[in-house]
Amino acid sequence: MRFWVMRFWFLAAFAVFSAAPAMAADFNPPIDRLISNYIRPAMTEFAAVTDRLPDAVASVCSSAGPAEIAGFQAAYSDSLRAFSRVHFLRFGPLLDDDRLSRLAFLPDPRGIAQRQIRKIYAQKDPSVGSAESLRDKSVAVQGLTALQMIAFDTESEVVLGSPDDDKDYTCGYALAIARNLAAIAAGLDADWSDPDGYRAVLLSGGPRNDRYRTSKEAMEDVFNALVTGLIIVRDQDLLPALGASAAKAKANRLPFSRSGNSIVFLSGELHGIQDAVASLELEDMTPTDFQWIFAALDFEFGNAQAFLSGLEPPLRRTFGEGDSYSQISVLAITLKSIRDTMALELAGALELAGGFNALDGD
Amino acid sequence: MTHAIKTVSRRSFLAAMGSLAAAPVFSGSTLAASLLNREAADGVPLFASAYRKADGEFGVGIVDDLGQILAQITLPGRGHGIAVAPEGSRFVAFARRPGTFAVVVRPFEDVQPELITSEPGRHFYGHGCFSADGRLLYAVENDFAAARGVVGIYDTSGSATRRIGEFETNGIGPHDVLLGPDYRTLIVANGGIETRPDMGREKLNLDTMAPSVVFIDSRSGDILAQHALDKELHQLSLRHMALDAEGRVWAGGQFEGPLDEVPPLVGVFSRDAAPKLTAIPEPVASGLQNYIGSVAANAGGEVIAASAPRGGQTLFWNASTGAYLGARSIPDGCGVAPIDQGSFLISDGNGALSLVSDPAAPAEILARPPGISWDNHLFNLAKIDAA
Repeated sequence: MRFWVMRFWFLAAFAVFSAAPAMAADFNPPIDRLISNYIRPAMTEFAAVTDRLPDAVASVCSSAGPAEIAGFQAAYSDSLRAFSRVHFLRFGPLLDDDRLSRLAFLPDPRGIAQRQIRKIYAQKDPSVGSAESLRDKSVAVQGLTALQMIAFDTESEVVLGSPDDDKDYTCGYALAIARNLAAIAAGLDADWSDPDGYRAVLLSGGPRNDRYRTSKEAMEDVFNALVTGLIIVRDQDLLPALGASAAKAKANRLPFSRSGNSIVFLSGELHGIQDAVASLELEDMTPTDFQWIFAALDFEFGNAQAFLSGLEPPLRRTFGEGDSYSQISVLAITLKSIRDTMALELAGALELAGGFNALDGD
Repeated sequence: MTHAIKTVSRRSFLAAMGSLAAAPVFSGSTLAASLLNREAADGVPLFASAYRKADGEFGVGIVDDLGQILAQITLPGRGHGIAVAPEGSRFVAFARRPGTFAVVVRPFEDVQPELITSEPGRHFYGHGCFSADGRLLYAVENDFAAARGVVGIYDTSGSATRRIGEFETNGIGPHDVLLGPDYRTLIVANGGIETRPDMGREKLNLDTMAPSVVFIDSRSGDILAQHALDKELHQLSLRHMALDAEGRVWAGGQFEGPLDEVPPLVGVFSRDAAPKLTAIPEPVASGLQNYIGSVAANAGGEVIAASAPRGGQTLFWNASTGAYLGARSIPDGCGVAPIDQGSFLISDGNGALSLVSDPAAPAEILARPPGISWDNHLFNLAKIDAA
């Protein structure tokens, strides 16, 4: 710990003397690249894949044959993969109208969603039967997490469309969720495409911008969102499943393990954060002594993906077999290293302020 | 201190939400649902903390023990500490220093919050506490022309809160204030750092600062005892406090001296004994950047928790033996409040509310409300049964 701190302070001081810019750095170009080259394409992709989800639900509900089941599984996984690439963009449009929580209610270690859905079923609540009335329900019962709960069983098998007493009710609810997801994703895509939308707020940092007095403040917000994304992957998605030891590992605590999509989700969010960082193209703004950061990040993100690709889905069945526990343990260590490289080294090199409480405490 | 569980009537709570909501956060939020779907909504521990939203708005959030936001109250600026009335039905949210507002909130009633403004020549330091009968509010304030710390005394019994006097704290920069275990003594941490509102948050006296913990008779204003640290620690600004089961005060500090020093950061104070400093073992100590953010005790007062947001760690001690129990990693974690005898809720700047019930197991993230940065401190709103 001490090593990191000392190194950070030393290097930060060094950076000031060796590369002190005559004027405050303009962070609008990297923010513009992030929006144009990462956020907008990712939102468009998310809208496109979720737009196919209602048909996949309708199809498996009309005939639950192997092809329809596979089609629904693919459509759900595609939606989840696209969601994993945008969920860490926790600013602007994703926060409006509780969109992020409505897309997926996470984390939920105490099973709030399950309890609420159980109650909905006990009452056969008709308001979950249309996207319009679903959007006024609790956020926990509206999105990808709720769809997973009603469409998959605990063995990661698709139950949507299978003939049981609740089939029609579940199919109506699932279709409402799918349409709700598609509508939210379309709204996100539209908002990020709006030249006068949040894009303009992020790119107009200055004295007349109430939110961001400088482009650096805007950059700090988006940069810290990426760091928070890394914290989520490790502390929220992985550590609860790892538990205190291999004997206490809980695969069902991994995100989207019920549908067998944990690796899809984890891999997608890490690819997303890596691509988002790359889209900023910060190399030119970073002092020479810190250029090593970019190769280091690529190397460590690559390692993280390699650990994930060595695992066999669904993890609910395979986690604990072979060296899977140690693979995920090492992944967690790698993620801590990536976070430190971002939050200490790269933020220090660019003189970006970090945590809200750490920053200017009281 | 023993407290009965303050039960929250589900009906009145839900009825009150409409009046609290500055934004339509409840339509589609998990709030109503989370309470209504609980086996027993009554008796649920509630917590309050200041926050900043991603759009830059400041406010106070009320959350349950699953970390779900139940209500949000918009503030005129950035908040900091919260004084909770003993009966649990009111609280006062203070502006962060050097702010001049405080807001009286009655979360279970259909009434608008009351805005209090500091006296001319005074500003709030961010913390306060109530008298045992709930009538008087004590707020730490700065008499900035005289560089003199005071405790402002407010009568909250009338229809409008009224400032009725002040006590000197015998120091500069009083930051936190607690009501002592005798329910009569006020305990104030004089942080020692001089600031002036016209110079923002600039620290003006780091070479001469002299922090202390003082014990003040709340009836007379007499200083009953004053404890300072040894000279070599005069730059350890004592700021946040919690009482343990034996009525001793655990105070956490922020060291303003050279960064390459690793001084103790937490001390134990009592009225009639010399302060004792607790050791933080390496390598934890040198990773904290000499900064403690909050101090809290568990419901029984046997365990002390201190957050270190710059180090991303929250540390735990056995209060009676002083033994260090360990630390848990919580990035930017700062607000700490007890959930019960055996667990703490910890809030962080990345929005998470984490449960720590074992100093040897990772913190469990219960919730991460999107777009919320929790600010510095977390307080128990409904009282928690110590038994």
